[in-house]
Amino acid sequence: MSASAEVVRPASADDCARALLAASQARRTVRVRGAGTKDHLGRLLPTDLTLATTGMSGIVEHVPADLTVTVAAGTPLAQVQRTLAAAGQRLPLDPPYADAATIGGIVAANSSGFLRARYGGVRDLLIGTTTALADGTVARAGGRVVKNVAGYDLNKLLIGSLGTLGVISECTFKVLPLPAASGGGLARFGAGPDAFAAADAVARTAARPAALVVSASGREAWELLVAAEGDAPTVARVLAIAADAVATRGGTFAAEDVDASLARARSLAERAEGVVVRASVPPAAQRPFTDAAARLEGFAECVADAASGVVRVRVQGDDAALLAAADALLAAARVCGGGARVERRPAALAERVAAWGDGDLPGRFLMERLRAAFDPNGVLEPGRGPIA
Amino acid sequence: MTTDTAVRARLRGAALVDALVGLLGPDKVLGTREDLLTYEYDGAVDTATPDAVVLPQDTADVAKIARFCHERRVPIVPRGAGTGLSGGAIPVEGGVVVSFARMARILEIDVPNRRAVVQPGLINLHLSTAAAPYGLAFVPDPSSQKACTLGGNVAENSGGPHTLAYGVTTNHVTGLEIVLSDGTIVRLGGKAEDAEGYDLVGAFVGSEGTLGLVTEITVKLTPLPEDKRTIMAAFPEIDQASESVSAIIAAGIVPAAIELMDRLATQAVEAAVRAGYPLDAGGILLVEVDGLRDGLDDAAARIETVCREHGATTLRRAASALERDRLWAGRKGAFAAMGRLAPAYYVQDGVIPRTRLPAVLRRVREISARSGLRIANVFHAGDGNLHPLILFARDDELERVREAGLDILRACIEAGGSLTGEHGVGMEKNCYMPLQFSPSDLAAMRRVKTAFDPDGLANPGKVFPTPGRCREYQLTATG
Repeated sequence: MSASAEVVRPASADDCARALLAASQARRTVRVRGAGTKDHLGRLLPTDLTLATTGMSGIVEHVPADLTVTVAAGTPLAQVQRTLAAAGQRLPLDPPYADAATIGGIVAANSSGFLRARYGGVRDLLIGTTTALADGTVARAGGRVVKNVAGYDLNKLLIGSLGTLGVISECTFKVLPLPAASGGGLARFGAGPDAFAAADAVARTAARPAALVVSASGREAWELLVAAEGDAPTVARVLAIAADAVATRGGTFAAEDVDASLARARSLAERAEGVVVRASVPPAAQRPFTDAAARLEGFAECVADAASGVVRVRVQGDDAALLAAADALLAAARVCGGGARVERRPAALAERVAAWGDGDLPGRFLMERLRAAFDPNGVLEPGRGPIA
Repeated sequence: MTTDTAVRARLRGAALVDALVGLLGPDKVLGTREDLLTYEYDGAVDTATPDAVVLPQDTADVAKIARFCHERRVPIVPRGAGTGLSGGAIPVEGGVVVSFARMARILEIDVPNRRAVVQPGLINLHLSTAAAPYGLAFVPDPSSQKACTLGGNVAENSGGPHTLAYGVTTNHVTGLEIVLSDGTIVRLGGKAEDAEGYDLVGAFVGSEGTLGLVTEITVKLTPLPEDKRTIMAAFPEIDQASESVSAIIAAGIVPAAIELMDRLATQAVEAAVRAGYPLDAGGILLVEVDGLRDGLDDAAARIETVCREHGATTLRRAASALERDRLWAGRKGAFAAMGRLAPAYYVQDGVIPRTRLPAVLRRVREISARSGLRIANVFHAGDGNLHPLILFARDDELERVREAGLDILRACIEAGGSLTGEHGVGMEKNCYMPLQFSPSDLAAMRRVKTAFDPDGLANPGKVFPTPGRCREYQLTATG
């Protein structure tokens, strides 16, 4: 997609920094790309150069007893998981495109999955970064220890920055032992509020489910998926709590293949048809937000991480319906006390649907100052994020 | 670009106090010598007297104070309860200390969203106490939680024993209202977990007052665990205790907390608190698992097995809430108990990968022997977050004490660790930052500082090395 004439593939952070310095000095714009699974995110203007991060690849260090792993940013998550699994561990991240996506792309796009319910998202698991900057320097932040308050937490700024502050070359994460046992169940409801009420009842307990997902594939077909991980007695108890919460709302909770169900829920984010809006709203606002979504003309499906309040809505239809839906969903998320972005839209509508709407974000002037401080010539991913 | 030179205030002393009284009225300004002396220290060892102390009532007051100071280039230093352990609340370059003692309310406990909105002066423990009837708690629990404030927790990104499983302050803050050093009020984030654009909340938490002042905080509240199991394991040798820490993790258990205490600390704690720790132990582990009650006994039994395999001679599982509180009282009261051993202590806060615990603790013992200073260890072993307490008696020993502290930090950095796990850099370690960070690392951080505080008025002299105070340190990063 919007391939640039020239591709550079640095092999190290220093190489990467040199390439960025040269580009910045020559005012040549740069696309930052790993596996290319985020090409739908933000506005992709043609650039003079594509910087492929895949040359920076491999596990740098994994110390099982420290529960940490350091990896080069171009490494696919799947490869990291294979290495960790050999030691009975994993990085508890299950983002969309988990098979192909690279670590750097996952961090730069703040791409979390449903395990966030229990284990947190990228911002809770990332403890260190090395980043090549547009002035040719390499900056490290955080470290390889799980607790660290030395200096500013630049890691947080890089998460979700879409390559606009620098190119992440290396990341260190907290990892966890693979759970001894896991299980899950599914309940069907005729209305969204019942599904969310059951999810909320679980979230209010000490159950800490691994995933808590409410989804709808039509206005009257709602599901609640609960995944549990831990030791066997705990898993059984979590599922019992979920069954109870479901029964109270008139549903039936049945055992389900968790991996398959989660993969199905995740696939919404990967479907390239219509408009997909990703919203983050306060937990209790998911009900009104999805209610508004389900009333839209062309509503196709929605998937909510009910523990975290991250909701994706997909809408299909003609251009007018898609434009109206994108506007309505961005506004609804804001009214609900959260925010949203249009994550996907048909190529034909790319110039008519701004990913961040009017881009009126709280603290925008601070973001603009940060962007200018890290990339004064504006060569990194111009136009890509909300701060162009 | 922020310069390294100290801020040159255009107004100081009595003239500044008078002008602030004119701005805010007499009730919100302290300026007598006696009053100001009360604000010259915090929980660390450095002191500096402010030119004035102000006690804002609300965000509008804070903005007014910041605008006033900005026009006159007066440094502005936020202060919560003054329990900080790195001199964060000390006005090292003079100026106005902003005490949040009168902005200490809980504005909202939002049960359906599992959030609380609070003012920065609120005491940490008061929030969990207020949330408990709803089955919720604010998880970060620094040992000073009976006194320290949420604003201070945000500034320092505070931890506590239970952060091993649940994360530190930054993992629990979703929204902030901040006042920049020029008086601009900015609201960041809210009750949702993610905000679009750069994560400014994440950048602000842990910035130690150097990016601005926080005036309102939205935090996550977490459902209380159904039950807990707390285990005390006593080992003849401290190495056995620290090796058990990695072994517990290797067994696939991630407890809510793993705390370690050495012999010297145990003796002080027993004399002060009588928590029931065996006095002859070389190392004591306090391990807690929590959550649903179903798996807890199994987990506790597995932990006990690991400890026994590593030579634990006494194992005690708290049988009641009372017994659990007693075991924890020893740990939480450990710093205060040091008064039994020496008139003063200096606490360090290095972090290491937890597998390096035995080796680095040996280095600490060598440093103690070489310097002739007694060092007690009581710390968050599960996180690898050391808290060596260097005991001393007289002020003229302080240089030697700092030297020993620096040696310990060097050992932590060489082991792949960090200068500070939860106490902050402040004015205590800003000169040491080059040990851990290269000039380009620091330059990147400085860009963030400049974006928020272009004139360098927000808590100057902290976090970054200052040429004036740091000239004597010829430190460079090793890695």
